[in-house]
Amino acid sequence: VATRYSSLAAAEDRVSKRLENWTRDYAPLPGIPDEFVDSEGRSRPHWLRLLTAFATYHPGEMRQRFATADRRIRNRGVSYRVPGEKEERDWPIGRMPLLVTEAEWRQIAEGVCQRAELIERVLADVYGEGRLLASGALPAAAIAGSMDYVGAMRGVTPPGGRWLRLYAVDIGRGPDGAWWVLGDRTQAPSGAGYALENRLVVSQAFSDLYSQLNVQRLAPFFRALSAGLKSGGQRSEPRIAILSPGPLSLTYSEQAYLARYLGFLLVEGDDLVMREGRVFVRTIAGFKRCDVIWRHIDADWCDPIELNSSSRIGVPGMLEAIRQNGVAIENMPGTGFIESRAMLAFLPALARSVLGQGLLMPNTATWWCGQPKERERVLDEFEQISIASAFGNELPGMKGRSSVIVEELSAAERARLRDAIAARGMDYVGQEVVRLSTTPRWVEDALEPRPFVLRVYCAATPKGWRVMPGGFCRISDRPDARAVSMGDGVESADVWVLAEKPVEVSSLLPSPESVRITRLLGNLPSRAADNLFWFGRYLERTEATLRVVRCLASRSVDPDSPMRAGRQALDRLMGVLVGWGAVEATTPKQGAAATAAQGLRDWRHYGSALALARSARTAASVIRERLTYKTWELIARLESAIDPSPDRRLSAGEIVDLTEEGLTVIAALSGLFDENFNRGAGWVFYVMGRCVERGANTCRLLRQFAGSDATEHTLGVMLDLIDSQITYSSRYLVGVALAPVRDMALLDPFNPRSVAFQVNRIDEGIGTLPVLRRDGILEEPRALTTALQAELTTERAERLDDARILAIEQRLLKLGNAIAARYFLQGAAQGRAEKVTGLA
Amino acid sequence: VNYKVTHITRYTYGAPVELTTGVLRLKPVSRDGQILDSFQVRTDPPCLPPTERIDPFGNAVLSLRIEKPHRELTIEASSEVRVDRPAVLEFSPPWETVAAEALNAPSLGPESPAIGLYPSRAIALFDEATAYARESFTPRRPIYEAAMDLATRIRADFVYDPEATDVSTPADVAFAHRRGVCQDFAHIMIAALRGLGLPALYVSGYIRTIPPPGKKRLAGADASHAWVSLWCGSSMGWLDFDPTNALAIQNDHVEVARGRDYSDASPIESMVLSFGSHELKVEVDVLPV
Repeated sequence: VATRYSSLAAAEDRVSKRLENWTRDYAPLPGIPDEFVDSEGRSRPHWLRLLTAFATYHPGEMRQRFATADRRIRNRGVSYRVPGEKEERDWPIGRMPLLVTEAEWRQIAEGVCQRAELIERVLADVYGEGRLLASGALPAAAIAGSMDYVGAMRGVTPPGGRWLRLYAVDIGRGPDGAWWVLGDRTQAPSGAGYALENRLVVSQAFSDLYSQLNVQRLAPFFRALSAGLKSGGQRSEPRIAILSPGPLSLTYSEQAYLARYLGFLLVEGDDLVMREGRVFVRTIAGFKRCDVIWRHIDADWCDPIELNSSSRIGVPGMLEAIRQNGVAIENMPGTGFIESRAMLAFLPALARSVLGQGLLMPNTATWWCGQPKERERVLDEFEQISIASAFGNELPGMKGRSSVIVEELSAAERARLRDAIAARGMDYVGQEVVRLSTTPRWVEDALEPRPFVLRVYCAATPKGWRVMPGGFCRISDRPDARAVSMGDGVESADVWVLAEKPVEVSSLLPSPESVRITRLLGNLPSRAADNLFWFGRYLERTEATLRVVRCLASRSVDPDSPMRAGRQALDRLMGVLVGWGAVEATTPKQGAAATAAQGLRDWRHYGSALALARSARTAASVIRERLTYKTWELIARLESAIDPSPDRRLSAGEIVDLTEEGLTVIAALSGLFDENFNRGAGWVFYVMGRCVERGANTCRLLRQFAGSDATEHTLGVMLDLIDSQITYSSRYLVGVALAPVRDMALLDPFNPRSVAFQVNRIDEGIGTLPVLRRDGILEEPRALTTALQAELTTERAERLDDARILAIEQRLLKLGNAIAARYFLQGAAQGRAEKVTGLA
Repeated sequence: VNYKVTHITRYTYGAPVELTTGVLRLKPVSRDGQILDSFQVRTDPPCLPPTERIDPFGNAVLSLRIEKPHRELTIEASSEVRVDRPAVLEFSPPWETVAAEALNAPSLGPESPAIGLYPSRAIALFDEATAYARESFTPRRPIYEAAMDLATRIRADFVYDPEATDVSTPADVAFAHRRGVCQDFAHIMIAALRGLGLPALYVSGYIRTIPPPGKKRLAGADASHAWVSLWCGSSMGWLDFDPTNALAIQNDHVEVARGRDYSDASPIESMVLSFGSHELKVEVDVLPV
């Protein structure tokens, strides 16, 4: 007992020592409030509880938990994009959550709800009666300067019943320790989905702590938000869509995540169409009404007919549909002007006149220079304040900067800025200089105080405003940052609101009677069908290319193959790679190994295995909300499997190994789809994509290797390429001959690699898809498969010739086109709306 | 003066068009000094019955929707308008007073100066234009006089050249080249006025052309025109200036629509579902009756 006791004591000693080290070395910045340490230098108790728990982990365990979190982020495909970059980045998640006590959170939440209500009323007045403008409480000129003020919405009643559905606000702790509002987000607030992702990852890495500390759950907030969005629709089961700018947007991964988490459709402008004052989604079963649109695109891009005519991501006629009460858009177009800094100058006084009470949470003191007194004050206190653009992202005359601290400007710059303010004061605001407070950031096994900004979310629900207990916290990597946005060196952190009592978990399950059982999820949007189809085709083409490369690489080193006969097979294989755009026409002159290497991993050639794998990923990225995390991870892994070390020269043997790696990943992906993908319409399109491609590829290979000039060698290659060597030798003991090979590759319905097998699968799938015609006549794709199937079933291998094989290949491609014409965007896919403007 | 105006627009498309949607701003407004007596619009192929709404600038906007596949589209608008604008006789206030007053505008309605104060989609503000305007807008100069001077200088300093610019040429480019058409001159004058903090809008419409002495009027030879409206204080309201002709607007101009710039007031905005290119021909007749 004694030894056990002493080892326990030793452990306790180790824990308190680590804790002591962290606390002792933690030095808050002078004069700046800190979350962990108060102004007297005492550690706050709720932070000590977290750090004590951290200290009980071995340093190794700590690292391991962090590594787990990092891996999860990567595997789940949580990413964001930096403007101008093509590839997404992994989400930089911080190790340390931000802790807020329940008592303090209550105050924050009250302040945020009050502000949300104020903004809703201001919006309703500005677009409605205009009393605040008439009374002078809010100058019209302080609104008109914002490009996000949408005049076309004047006099419109929002179909969803309100202007603001989801509101977000950036807050920070001021020098006095109180929370201040730094900026409002009313256009299409981002980050709520990332907050949820952060929570999932961190709570799994530290699940024990998470329940010990009574961290408040986020799920109820999202359910309430979902109920709020639903209440905007006019049917009992409204169809809700998230309108995304597409995979190139900065926060696409978040939009996909929210769609999946909340069970909404993820759509782009092309998916939607306005007809007779309503908005519809194009699906494979025709147009389906869309009731509520949660927009993630800025208002200006929503409607190319009435707003920015260069927009290609909006829905022509959307504003008209709003006016005709045909669709609820959340948040309403036009809410964005609230975000302009000029508004910060008026909201404090508006709170008193609109709500009859002052703001519970103040915002950064701001003076709009469109008013003479305020402009004078700004020019008087010029050296002590910062100057920012009143409306835009860029300060007029200060390239690329939205705000400057006057003290930091040169004398010439100051003079220029003064003149500019005197000439067009309405473009500028003066603001007190914001200094952000700090919170601990984990830096190599130690804690460092770093400035942070907290974004809080508030949703209008059927039960009133509701604040997400948590939020999206951004922590800077520099101790002196005065503003924090997502970019280099900024981490996001989970935000833990610590309840005083244990958090109820069981009550989160919906009651059984409120859930209607359903097995299939609505109608598949055409664009999703399109991308699933193309994902299938690209994946299959990648596989075929890998097989050709493998065959080429392995034969290029085979010492047993007789020179001349082997040469022909090699030339043909290289010819296939040239024909498929995998290698340059001149590459084969450099030999089989060089050709194989280029066909494998030279992404500059669209037909190389690496380029095809990328195309498959691009197609999949558009439907990410329909794929499991594991699937997405494997899709991403395919490229690194094919090309793990881009700069190194490869031997033929290594090329064979890499193709094997790639084929293994594809096999795993196929297996994952087989095992996990719901057998709905989406599945059918994926399968059709693979089968059309596989059938056509097999025909092409047959013409090369099993044509009228086939040799024993080329027939061997053919069997290799369709993985049928073993089956062949078990069926035919006589060695390779033309007709049996052709039968096996083309007609044999039992061989999963034969063309007939592909056609049978397509036919089986297409029969389950919805039909638009009501006259009982087969739609084009079905008619084509039925005919092709009948021919392949009755065809005899002995009668086949090259022309016949080519005809079958062409009919498969025709089938692919017919599928596209019938199901994807109803023929509008390539003919994107072109704008015509008439000028006289 | 009474006018009968016909405005015919013909599109020829390189490939069949499945669907045309858009808006028409072809119906002249009734406002101070201008009354619309009749208006008709006809399209070939026929469009769905158009709905009419009033946009944030007070323009009548008609919807355009043609669901039948077509290779050609003709839009013909005819209107009868009475124009009788009083000449400006009063002394106008100093421009600085107007600029200060505009910031206190109590509304965002179509008459409000607030909507003309800021840079807009097609008109960025640039220092060269503001400096150019300052030569006319000397301290305390009456706004009407200063604006007339600015319009006159634009007419003198710039060359009318339809080849130099197109619909989407930004104001600063046209300014640098010192050439363009009515749209460019209007944009330049607006940028210059806004640079001083004055509310200015873009106006599209028609101007009556007077044939050279001894020649007959040519049918269809008139054109759409564009000019500038400047807010001259609450007592005088919006007054229009034509920098292309160095005129204050009186009875030779018929206004159709106004907005912050061309993109708010263009006569036809349409989107077509098609693959091909298109050609466009416009004929305008402004006939005094």
